[in-house]
Amino acid sequence: MDKIKVKICCGTSCFVMGASQIQVLEFEPPADIKDKIEIEESRCLNYCHNTAAKYNHGPFVEVNGELIEEANFEKVVNKIREIINGTIK
Amino acid sequence: MTSSLFIDIGSSQVQKDGEDCFGDTVYAKKIPEEQRIIGILSDGLGSGVKANILSSMTTRMAMKFMEDNTELQRASQIMMDALPICQVRKISYATFSIVDSELEGKTRIFEMDNPRYIFIRNNRLFDIKGREFSSPKWKDRKILVSQINNLPEDRIIIMSDGVTQAGIGNKKYPLGWGRQGCIDFVLSTLEKDPYISSSALSEKIVAEALNKENGKKAGDDISCMCLYFRNPRKLLIVTGPPFNEDKDKEIAEMVASYDGKIAICGGTTANIIERELCLKCEIDKTSFDAKIPMASKMEGVDLVTEGILTLTDVYRMLKEGIDKNSNTASARLVRLLLGSDKIDFVVGTKINVAHQDPNLPMELEIRRNIVKKIFRLLQSRYLKEISVQYL
Repeated sequence: MDKIKVKICCGTSCFVMGASQIQVLEFEPPADIKDKIEIEESRCLNYCHNTAAKYNHGPFVEVNGELIEEANFEKVVNKIREIINGTIK
Repeated sequence: MTSSLFIDIGSSQVQKDGEDCFGDTVYAKKIPEEQRIIGILSDGLGSGVKANILSSMTTRMAMKFMEDNTELQRASQIMMDALPICQVRKISYATFSIVDSELEGKTRIFEMDNPRYIFIRNNRLFDIKGREFSSPKWKDRKILVSQINNLPEDRIIIMSDGVTQAGIGNKKYPLGWGRQGCIDFVLSTLEKDPYISSSALSEKIVAEALNKENGKKAGDDISCMCLYFRNPRKLLIVTGPPFNEDKDKEIAEMVASYDGKIAICGGTTANIIERELCLKCEIDKTSFDAKIPMASKMEGVDLVTEGILTLTDVYRMLKEGIDKNSNTASARLVRLLLGSDKIDFVVGTKINVAHQDPNLPMELEIRRNIVKKIFRLLQSRYLKEISVQYL
């Protein structure tokens, strides 16, 4: 099984809205998903530049290409577990 | 302008053991309009408060006279007349060394009764014969004037007799460390670290002198000032995407053709440079920190960081002092800034709408403002030469 790609936006607004807490995934990931993920930080994923949205909904994280808005540690971990469980079935 | 030298000036002092204030005064001033730097070191008679008054008066007066280009004989006469007369020794007295440098490299040195300056070129000592002057009223007070045309990598060191007489009376140094001892130490230090900064070198000299003293207690005020002439170390800071996207290419070309160190502050800015110059940029995970986004590595660029948060932290450190042993992106940027002489800022003024979200912390400043604060501080406190260009 390929590793799950997690892309965390570390641009200024995502960072202050909580991306720094999501980075914990890289250094202390939960044991069950530790070997199954590949983390990549991005300087800016450019989602915040979409001014059509009223305000931006950072932090933004991509899990296997799927966008999570207003991401936090739990949301991202749940998404990863969903994918793992989904592929096992 | 570009061909002119940069003078890195630094000093260090230790006061006589048991005294509350310095008997020596060191004072340096930059006169930007005249492209000139004046450094003065004066040693007042005796020690403590009295010496402090004598030496500070001498320094201030000498600085004023130097600035106004007053004729030397007249200036020295006025200074000696003005100084209070010591009750013990019946003379008015404070020695001094003055280095008056123009950035094209012309330097004059005036000395009175301090140990002679040390002039080092190509890692060798150069002894330069000076001309002697004395005023009619004070015939026994001789002023020595020497003139040097400075080249890059020259160093001039002036010091008080606390340095040369360090350890006097010891078994090992019965006559003190001596000027020769100091010269040998400086030469060996320079051999190990040829590009050492002036402040680091003067700290080393003073520490070494203190080492020679009995019980490491200074028997006299120990002071030292170093000047280091060099071609300016240049740094380019690119921050922010330009207001007009057509300028992306212009910024990238500036980065590609710059002859100095380069730092990029801003995620989007880095993305632009990466795209325009086809460079690869990777996050550097050794700089992880919970407060400051990580730095990145890009080929040909010395540092890539996030924008506003990093710059805000840089401003804090420039104001309060750098966090020691820190490896965050902002600490690296501060080290880069302080290690440079001439800093060119290129500031893109496009505003990131996402940063204006009222849910974000107040500290998120507008780029132009924080850059302005940083370069003002670099100019006034750190005497850096700054240029700013908005795109």
